Amino acid sequence: MSRRRQLAALVRKDLRLELRTRETIVAMVLFAIVMMAILQFGFGTRDDDLTRFVGGLMWVTLAFTAVLGVGRSYVAEREQRVLDGLLVSPVPRVVMLGAKAIAIFLYMTAVEVIVIPLVGVFFVQGPYWDAIGWIAIAALLANACIALSGTLFSGLALFTRARDLILPVLFLPALVPVVIAAAGATHAVAGGPHDMSEWRGYCLFLLAYAILFSLVSVATYDAVFDD
Amino acid sequence: MPGERAALIWGVVATILVVVSTIGVFLVAPEDADQGVIQRIFYFHVAIAIASLVAFAVACVAGILYLRTRDARWDDVGEASIRIGLLFSVLVVITGSIWAKASWGTWWVWTDPRLVTYLIVVLIYAAYFVLRSSAEDDRRMRYSAIYAIAGFASVPLSFYSVRVAESFVHPVVFTSSGANMPGSMLIWFVVSQAAMIALFIALLEVDLVGRRSERALRRLALRLENA
Repeated sequence: MSRRRQLAALVRKDLRLELRTRETIVAMVLFAIVMMAILQFGFGTRDDDLTRFVGGLMWVTLAFTAVLGVGRSYVAEREQRVLDGLLVSPVPRVVMLGAKAIAIFLYMTAVEVIVIPLVGVFFVQGPYWDAIGWIAIAALLANACIALSGTLFSGLALFTRARDLILPVLFLPALVPVVIAAAGATHAVAGGPHDMSEWRGYCLFLLAYAILFSLVSVATYDAVFDD
Repeated sequence: MPGERAALIWGVVATILVVVSTIGVFLVAPEDADQGVIQRIFYFHVAIAIASLVAFAVACVAGILYLRTRDARWDDVGEASIRIGLLFSVLVVITGSIWAKASWGTWWVWTDPRLVTYLIVVLIYAAYFVLRSSAEDDRRMRYSAIYAIAGFASVPLSFYSVRVAESFVHPVVFTSSGANMPGSMLIWFVVSQAAMIALFIALLEVDLVGRRSERALRRLALRLENA
Protein backbone atom coordinates (compact mmCIF):
# COMPACT_ATOMS: atom_id res chain seq x y z
CA MET A 1 0.00 0.00 0.00
CA SER A 2 1.45 3.36 -0.97
CA ARG A 3 2.00 6.00 1.67
CA ARG A 4 -0.70 8.17 0.18
CA ARG A 5 -3.26 5.37 0.49
CA GLN A 6 -2.12 4.62 4.04
CA LEU A 7 -2.53 8.31 4.90
CA ALA A 8 -5.98 8.47 3.31
CA ALA A 9 -7.06 5.29 5.14
CA LEU A 10 -5.94 6.63 8.52
CA VAL A 11 -7.63 10.01 7.99
CA ARG A 12 -10.79 8.18 6.89
CA LYS A 13 -10.62 6.08 10.07
CA ASP A 14 -10.53 9.19 12.28
CA LEU A 15 -13.28 10.96 10.35
CA ARG A 16 -15.51 7.89 10.26
CA LEU A 17 -15.17 7.44 14.02
CA GLU A 18 -16.05 11.10 14.50
CA LEU A 19 -19.01 10.97 12.12
CA ARG A 20 -20.39 7.91 13.93
CA THR A 21 -20.14 9.31 17.43
CA ARG A 22 -20.04 13.08 16.77
CA GLU A 23 -18.47 13.39 20.20
CA THR A 24 -15.46 15.59 19.59
CA ILE A 25 -16.63 18.28 17.18
CA VAL A 26 -19.99 18.84 18.90
CA ALA A 27 -18.22 19.11 22.27
CA MET A 28 -15.65 21.50 20.78
CA VAL A 29 -18.34 23.78 19.30
CA LEU A 30 -20.31 23.86 22.55
CA PHE A 31 -17.14 24.48 24.52
CA ALA A 32 -16.21 27.37 22.19
CA ILE A 33 -19.63 29.00 22.62
CA VAL A 34 -19.45 28.62 26.41
CA MET A 35 -15.93 30.10 26.34
CA MET A 36 -17.12 33.11 24.34
CA ALA A 37 -19.97 33.71 26.79
CA ILE A 38 -17.58 33.43 29.75
CA LEU A 39 -15.12 35.82 28.13
CA GLN A 40 -17.92 38.27 27.42
CA PHE A 41 -19.12 38.23 31.02
CA GLY A 42 -15.54 38.14 32.30
CA PHE A 43 -14.78 41.39 30.51
CA GLY A 44 -17.85 42.91 32.14
CA THR A 45 -18.58 45.19 29.22
CA ARG A 46 -21.88 43.81 28.01
CA ASP A 47 -23.01 47.15 26.65
CA ASP A 48 -19.76 48.08 24.95
CA ASP A 49 -18.47 47.31 21.51
CA LEU A 50 -15.83 44.57 21.78
CA THR A 51 -14.61 44.98 18.20
CA ARG A 52 -11.09 45.91 19.25
CA PHE A 53 -10.78 42.72 21.30
CA VAL A 54 -12.17 40.48 18.58
CA GLY A 55 -8.88 38.81 17.62
CA GLY A 56 -8.06 38.01 21.23
CA LEU A 57 -11.55 36.76 22.04
CA MET A 58 -11.63 34.55 18.97
CA TRP A 59 -8.18 33.03 19.40
CA VAL A 60 -8.27 32.52 23.15
CA THR A 61 -11.52 30.62 22.55
CA LEU A 62 -10.06 28.61 19.68
CA ALA A 63 -6.79 27.86 21.54
CA PHE A 64 -8.65 26.31 24.48
CA THR A 65 -11.00 24.54 22.09
CA ALA A 66 -7.93 23.15 20.30
CA VAL A 67 -6.62 21.74 23.59
CA LEU A 68 -9.92 19.95 24.03
CA GLY A 69 -9.92 18.58 20.47
CA VAL A 70 -6.26 17.57 20.49
CA GLY A 71 -6.76 15.83 23.85
CA ARG A 72 -9.61 13.77 22.37
CA SER A 73 -7.75 12.95 19.17
CA TYR A 74 -5.94 9.87 20.53
CA VAL A 75 -8.79 8.49 22.62
CA ALA A 76 -9.65 5.66 20.21
CA GLU A 77 -5.98 4.78 19.80
CA ARG A 78 -5.55 4.54 23.54
CA GLU A 79 -8.82 3.10 24.82
CA GLN A 80 -9.66 0.72 21.98
CA ARG A 81 -6.04 -0.38 21.49
CA VAL A 82 -5.99 0.97 17.93
CA LEU A 83 -2.44 2.14 18.51
CA ASP A 84 -1.19 -1.41 19.18
CA GLY A 85 -2.53 -2.45 15.78
CA LEU A 86 -1.06 0.58 14.06
CA LEU A 87 2.37 0.13 15.61
CA VAL A 88 2.69 -3.48 14.45
CA SER A 89 1.39 -2.66 10.96
CA PRO A 90 3.88 -1.56 8.28
CA VAL A 91 2.72 2.07 8.47
CA PRO A 92 5.59 4.56 8.81
CA ARG A 93 5.32 6.79 11.88
CA VAL A 94 5.47 9.88 9.70
CA VAL A 95 2.25 8.72 7.96
CA MET A 96 0.58 8.31 11.37
CA LEU A 97 1.75 11.83 12.25
CA GLY A 98 0.42 13.25 8.98
CA ALA A 99 -2.94 11.50 9.32
CA LYS A 100 -3.48 12.67 12.88
CA ALA A 101 -2.45 16.24 11.96
CA ILE A 102 -4.90 16.26 9.04
CA ALA A 103 -7.70 14.97 11.31
CA ILE A 104 -7.02 17.70 13.91
CA PHE A 105 -6.82 20.30 11.12
CA LEU A 106 -10.23 19.20 9.84
CA TYR A 107 -11.77 19.21 13.36
CA MET A 108 -10.53 22.76 13.93
CA THR A 109 -11.76 23.91 10.53
CA ALA A 110 -15.20 22.42 11.19
CA VAL A 111 -15.39 24.23 14.54
CA GLU A 112 -14.27 27.53 12.99
CA VAL A 113 -16.96 27.35 10.29
CA ILE A 114 -19.39 27.95 13.17
CA VAL A 115 -17.26 29.95 15.60
CA ILE A 116 -15.83 32.62 13.26
CA PRO A 117 -19.27 33.85 12.06
CA LEU A 118 -20.54 33.69 15.65
CA VAL A 119 -17.67 35.91 16.81
CA GLY A 120 -18.83 38.47 14.26
CA VAL A 121 -22.41 38.27 15.50
CA PHE A 122 -21.50 38.38 19.21
CA PHE A 123 -18.66 40.86 19.38
CA VAL A 124 -18.22 43.03 16.27
CA GLN A 125 -20.24 46.16 15.66
CA GLY A 126 -18.07 47.52 12.83
CA PRO A 127 -17.45 45.99 9.39
CA TYR A 128 -16.56 42.30 9.71
CA TRP A 129 -18.10 40.22 6.95
CA ASP A 130 -15.99 41.78 4.17
CA ALA A 131 -12.91 40.61 6.09
CA ILE A 132 -14.12 37.05 6.60
CA GLY A 133 -12.04 35.67 3.72
CA TRP A 134 -8.80 37.13 5.13
CA ILE A 135 -9.67 35.85 8.61
CA ALA A 136 -10.37 32.40 7.14
CA ILE A 137 -6.94 32.27 5.46
CA ALA A 138 -5.21 33.21 8.74
CA ALA A 139 -7.37 30.60 10.53
CA LEU A 140 -6.35 27.85 8.09
CA LEU A 141 -2.67 28.68 8.64
CA ALA A 142 -3.21 28.74 12.42
CA ASN A 143 -4.99 25.36 12.14
CA ALA A 144 -1.92 23.90 10.43
CA CYS A 145 0.24 25.17 13.34
CA ILE A 146 -2.21 23.79 15.92
CA ALA A 147 -2.47 20.43 14.12
CA LEU A 148 1.28 19.91 13.80
CA SER A 149 2.30 20.95 17.29
CA GLY A 150 -0.84 19.36 18.78
CA THR A 151 -0.08 15.99 17.20
CA LEU A 152 3.44 15.99 18.61
CA PHE A 153 2.47 17.10 22.12
CA SER A 154 -0.59 14.82 22.37
CA GLY A 155 1.67 11.91 21.35
CA LEU A 156 4.03 12.85 24.18
CA ALA A 157 1.19 13.16 26.68
CA LEU A 158 -0.47 9.90 25.62
CA PHE A 159 1.35 7.51 27.95
CA THR A 160 2.16 9.88 30.80
CA ARG A 161 0.49 9.85 34.18
CA ALA A 162 -2.19 12.57 34.47
CA ARG A 163 -2.14 12.98 30.66
CA ASP A 164 -5.23 15.22 30.69
CA LEU A 165 -3.28 17.65 32.82
CA ILE A 166 0.00 17.29 30.96
CA LEU A 167 -1.34 18.13 27.49
CA PRO A 168 -2.46 21.73 28.22
CA VAL A 169 0.74 22.37 30.20
CA LEU A 170 2.86 21.27 27.22
CA PHE A 171 0.66 22.53 24.42
CA LEU A 172 -0.54 25.97 25.53
CA PRO A 173 2.90 27.63 25.96
CA ALA A 174 3.84 26.41 22.47
CA LEU A 175 0.53 27.86 21.20
CA VAL A 176 1.25 31.35 22.53
CA PRO A 177 3.06 32.48 19.33
CA VAL A 178 0.17 31.08 17.24
CA VAL A 179 -2.40 32.97 19.33
CA ILE A 180 -0.35 36.19 19.07
CA ALA A 181 -0.05 35.91 15.29
CA ALA A 182 -3.58 34.68 14.56
CA ALA A 183 -5.12 37.33 16.86
CA GLY A 184 -2.88 39.96 15.23
CA ALA A 185 -3.95 38.89 11.74
CA THR A 186 -7.62 39.01 12.80
CA HIS A 187 -7.18 42.46 14.39
CA ALA A 188 -5.49 43.73 11.23
CA VAL A 189 -8.57 43.14 9.08
CA ALA A 190 -11.62 42.97 11.38
CA GLY A 191 -13.80 45.86 12.42
CA GLY A 192 -12.28 48.68 10.38
CA PRO A 193 -9.82 49.55 7.62
CA HIS A 194 -7.71 46.56 6.57
CA ASP A 195 -3.99 46.70 7.34
CA MET A 196 -2.88 44.15 4.76
CA SER A 197 0.87 44.48 5.36
CA GLU A 198 0.33 43.65 9.05
CA TRP A 199 -1.97 40.76 8.09
CA ARG A 200 0.65 39.45 5.63
CA GLY A 201 3.39 39.63 8.30
CA TYR A 202 1.35 37.58 10.75
CA CYS A 203 0.35 35.04 8.10
CA LEU A 204 3.99 34.60 7.04
CA PHE A 205 4.85 34.02 10.68
CA LEU A 206 2.13 31.34 10.94
CA LEU A 207 3.52 29.70 7.80
CA ALA A 208 7.04 29.75 9.28
CA TYR A 209 5.72 28.21 12.53
CA ALA A 210 3.94 25.44 10.60
CA ILE A 211 7.04 24.66 8.55
CA LEU A 212 9.35 24.62 11.59
CA PHE A 213 7.02 22.43 13.65
CA SER A 214 6.47 20.04 10.74
CA LEU A 215 10.26 19.61 10.53
CA VAL A 216 10.57 19.04 14.30
CA SER A 217 7.61 16.64 14.30
CA VAL A 218 8.88 14.60 11.34
CA ALA A 219 12.38 14.44 12.89
CA THR A 220 11.19 13.31 16.33
CA TYR A 221 7.89 11.48 15.83
CA ASP A 222 9.62 8.08 15.31
CA ALA A 223 10.93 8.36 18.87
CA VAL A 224 7.51 9.15 20.38
CA PHE A 225 6.22 5.62 19.71
CA ASP A 226 9.55 3.83 19.94
CA ASP A 227 8.41 1.29 22.55
CA MET B 1 38.04 11.77 38.51
CA PRO B 2 38.08 13.92 35.33
CA GLY B 3 34.49 15.13 35.87
CA GLU B 4 35.26 16.35 39.37
CA ARG B 5 38.42 18.08 38.17
CA ALA B 6 36.50 19.80 35.36
CA ALA B 7 33.83 20.91 37.86
CA LEU B 8 36.53 22.30 40.16
CA ILE B 9 38.34 24.14 37.36
CA TRP B 10 35.14 25.63 35.94
CA GLY B 11 33.99 26.53 39.45
CA VAL B 12 37.20 28.48 40.07
CA VAL B 13 37.07 30.15 36.63
CA ALA B 14 33.40 31.11 37.11
CA THR B 15 34.03 32.49 40.62
CA ILE B 16 36.97 34.63 39.43
CA LEU B 17 35.01 35.92 36.41
CA VAL B 18 31.87 36.70 38.45
CA VAL B 19 33.94 38.61 41.07
CA VAL B 20 35.91 40.51 38.37
CA SER B 21 32.78 41.35 36.37
CA THR B 22 30.90 42.52 39.49
CA ILE B 23 33.79 44.82 40.46
CA GLY B 24 34.14 46.03 36.87
CA VAL B 25 30.43 46.66 36.36
CA PHE B 26 29.93 48.57 39.63
CA LEU B 27 33.28 50.35 40.06
CA VAL B 28 34.99 50.69 36.70
CA ALA B 29 32.41 50.83 33.89
CA PRO B 30 31.19 54.37 33.09
CA GLU B 31 27.73 55.38 34.22
CA ASP B 32 25.08 55.72 31.54
CA ALA B 33 24.33 59.42 30.97
CA ASP B 34 20.67 58.78 30.30
CA GLN B 35 19.62 56.01 32.73
CA GLY B 36 22.17 56.41 35.55
CA VAL B 37 23.09 53.59 37.93
CA ILE B 38 20.17 51.28 37.01
CA GLN B 39 21.68 50.77 33.55
CA ARG B 40 24.35 48.62 35.23
CA ILE B 41 21.76 45.84 35.55
CA PHE B 42 22.09 45.50 31.77
CA TYR B 43 25.48 43.75 32.15
CA PHE B 44 23.87 40.92 34.12
CA HIS B 45 20.41 40.95 32.55
CA VAL B 46 21.61 40.50 28.96
CA ALA B 47 24.50 38.18 29.88
CA ILE B 48 22.16 35.86 31.82
CA ALA B 49 19.66 35.92 28.94
CA ILE B 50 22.31 34.86 26.42
CA ALA B 51 23.66 32.21 28.84
CA SER B 52 20.13 30.79 29.24
CA LEU B 53 19.79 30.48 25.46
CA VAL B 54 23.15 28.68 25.37
CA ALA B 55 21.83 26.30 28.05
CA PHE B 56 18.67 25.56 26.02
CA ALA B 57 20.76 25.04 22.88
CA VAL B 58 22.98 22.56 24.79
CA ALA B 59 19.82 20.74 25.96
CA CYS B 60 18.53 20.59 22.39
CA VAL B 61 21.83 19.13 21.13
CA ALA B 62 21.86 16.70 24.07
CA GLY B 63 18.29 15.68 23.13
CA ILE B 64 19.33 14.97 19.53
CA LEU B 65 22.35 12.98 20.75
CA TYR B 66 20.18 11.03 23.20
CA LEU B 67 17.72 10.06 20.45
CA ARG B 68 20.63 8.93 18.27
CA THR B 69 22.64 7.03 20.89
CA ARG B 70 20.15 6.27 23.71
CA ASP B 71 22.99 7.02 26.11
CA ALA B 72 21.56 8.12 29.50
CA ARG B 73 24.45 10.56 29.96
CA TRP B 74 22.93 12.82 27.30
CA ASP B 75 19.67 12.78 29.22
CA ASP B 76 21.60 13.96 32.28
CA VAL B 77 23.21 16.78 30.26
CA GLY B 78 19.81 17.77 28.82
CA GLU B 79 18.00 17.87 32.13
CA ALA B 80 20.81 19.70 33.95
CA SER B 81 21.07 22.28 31.13
CA ILE B 82 17.34 22.99 31.14
CA ARG B 83 17.32 23.23 34.95
CA ILE B 84 20.08 25.86 34.83
CA GLY B 85 18.60 27.56 31.74
CA LEU B 86 15.23 27.83 33.47
CA LEU B 87 16.85 29.32 36.58
CA PHE B 88 18.66 31.85 34.38
CA SER B 89 15.42 32.65 32.50
CA VAL B 90 13.61 33.36 35.78
CA LEU B 91 16.52 35.67 36.69
CA VAL B 92 16.16 37.40 33.30
CA VAL B 93 12.48 38.05 34.00
CA ILE B 94 13.24 39.33 37.54
CA THR B 95 16.14 41.60 36.49
CA GLY B 96 14.12 42.78 33.49
CA SER B 97 11.22 43.60 35.76
CA ILE B 98 13.49 45.57 38.10
CA TRP B 99 14.92 47.46 35.13
CA ALA B 100 11.39 48.17 33.84
CA LYS B 101 10.37 49.59 37.23
CA ALA B 102 13.39 51.91 37.28
CA SER B 103 13.14 52.96 33.63
CA TRP B 104 9.41 53.03 32.94
CA GLY B 105 7.98 53.21 36.47
CA THR B 106 6.17 49.90 36.29
CA TRP B 107 7.17 46.32 37.16
CA TRP B 108 5.74 44.80 34.01
CA VAL B 109 5.34 46.15 30.48
CA TRP B 110 3.38 43.94 28.09
CA THR B 111 4.61 46.01 25.14
CA ASP B 112 8.22 45.04 25.87
CA PRO B 113 8.90 42.15 23.50
CA ARG B 114 11.93 40.66 25.23
CA LEU B 115 10.41 40.54 28.70
CA VAL B 116 7.22 38.91 27.40
CA THR B 117 9.24 36.47 25.33
CA TYR B 118 11.16 35.35 28.38
CA LEU B 119 7.95 34.79 30.27
CA ILE B 120 6.85 32.44 27.45
CA VAL B 121 10.26 30.74 27.51
CA VAL B 122 9.93 30.17 31.28
CA LEU B 123 6.49 28.61 30.73
CA ILE B 124 7.76 26.36 27.92
CA TYR B 125 10.70 25.03 29.92
CA ALA B 126 8.80 24.75 33.23
CA ALA B 127 6.51 22.29 31.40
CA TYR B 128 9.59 20.13 30.66
CA PHE B 129 9.78 19.17 34.34
CA VAL B 130 6.05 18.43 34.52
CA LEU B 131 6.46 16.07 31.55
CA ARG B 132 9.55 14.47 33.08
CA SER B 133 7.88 13.81 36.38
CA SER B 134 4.96 12.00 34.77
CA ALA B 135 6.84 9.46 32.65
CA GLU B 136 9.16 6.63 33.68
CA ASP B 137 12.62 5.33 32.71
CA ASP B 138 13.28 5.08 28.96
CA ARG B 139 10.05 6.87 28.08
CA ARG B 140 10.97 9.76 30.39
CA MET B 141 14.33 10.17 28.67
CA ARG B 142 12.85 9.93 25.18
CA TYR B 143 10.02 12.35 25.86
CA SER B 144 12.39 14.78 27.56
CA ALA B 145 14.74 14.69 24.56
CA ILE B 146 11.87 15.31 22.12
CA TYR B 147 10.49 18.14 24.25
CA ALA B 148 13.94 19.73 24.59
CA ILE B 149 14.16 19.83 20.78
CA ALA B 150 10.57 21.09 20.30
CA GLY B 151 11.03 23.62 23.13
CA PHE B 152 14.15 25.02 21.52
CA ALA B 153 12.28 25.36 18.22
CA SER B 154 9.61 27.34 20.09
CA VAL B 155 12.14 29.86 21.46
CA PRO B 156 12.87 31.75 18.19
CA LEU B 157 9.16 31.53 17.31
CA SER B 158 8.25 33.17 20.62
CA PHE B 159 10.88 35.87 20.08
CA TYR B 160 9.68 36.60 16.58
CA SER B 161 5.94 36.48 17.31
CA VAL B 162 6.25 39.01 20.11
CA ARG B 163 8.35 41.27 17.91
CA VAL B 164 5.84 41.16 15.05
CA ALA B 165 3.12 42.08 17.52
CA GLU B 166 4.54 44.91 19.56
CA SER B 167 6.10 48.31 19.24
CA PHE B 168 9.64 48.39 20.54
CA VAL B 169 10.08 50.10 23.86
CA HIS B 170 13.00 47.90 24.91
CA PRO B 171 16.43 49.46 24.55
CA VAL B 172 18.09 47.75 21.58
CA VAL B 173 21.80 47.51 22.30
CA PHE B 174 22.93 44.90 19.79
CA THR B 175 21.90 45.60 16.23
CA SER B 176 22.98 44.04 12.95
CA SER B 177 25.47 46.92 12.53
CA GLY B 178 27.21 46.13 15.84
CA ALA B 179 27.08 47.01 19.55
CA ASN B 180 25.38 50.30 20.33
CA MET B 181 27.67 51.25 23.25
CA PRO B 182 31.18 52.63 23.88
CA GLY B 183 34.18 50.30 24.19
CA SER B 184 34.55 50.97 27.94
CA MET B 185 31.08 49.49 28.46
CA LEU B 186 31.43 46.75 25.88
CA ILE B 187 34.51 45.27 27.55
CA TRP B 188 32.64 44.83 30.85
CA PHE B 189 29.71 43.35 29.03
CA VAL B 190 32.05 40.80 27.43
CA VAL B 191 33.53 39.96 30.87
CA SER B 192 30.01 39.58 32.35
CA GLN B 193 29.00 37.37 29.45
CA ALA B 194 32.07 35.18 29.90
CA ALA B 195 31.29 34.98 33.65
CA MET B 196 27.72 33.83 33.02
CA ILE B 197 28.74 31.23 30.43
CA ALA B 198 31.45 29.95 32.81
CA LEU B 199 28.88 29.88 35.61
CA PHE B 200 26.57 27.79 33.42
CA ILE B 201 29.35 25.32 32.59
CA ALA B 202 30.43 25.13 36.25
CA LEU B 203 26.84 24.48 37.44
CA LEU B 204 26.41 21.88 34.69
CA GLU B 205 29.61 20.07 35.68
CA VAL B 206 28.69 20.13 39.38
CA ASP B 207 25.22 18.79 38.57
CA LEU B 208 26.67 15.98 36.43
CA VAL B 209 29.22 15.04 39.12
CA GLY B 210 26.34 14.90 41.63
CA ARG B 211 24.35 12.56 39.37
CA ARG B 212 27.36 10.30 38.77
CA SER B 213 28.05 10.11 42.52
CA GLU B 214 24.40 9.32 43.21
CA ARG B 215 24.47 6.47 40.69
CA ALA B 216 27.73 5.12 42.14
CA LEU B 217 26.23 5.23 45.63
CA ARG B 218 23.13 3.41 44.46
CA ARG B 219 25.24 0.68 42.84
CA LEU B 220 27.30 0.36 46.03
CA ALA B 221 24.17 0.11 48.19
CA LEU B 222 22.80 -2.59 45.88
CA ARG B 223 26.07 -4.53 46.08
CA LEU B 224 26.09 -4.29 49.88
CA GLU B 225 22.50 -5.50 50.04
CA ASN B 226 23.35 -8.51 47.89
CA ALA B 227 26.56 -9.33 49.79
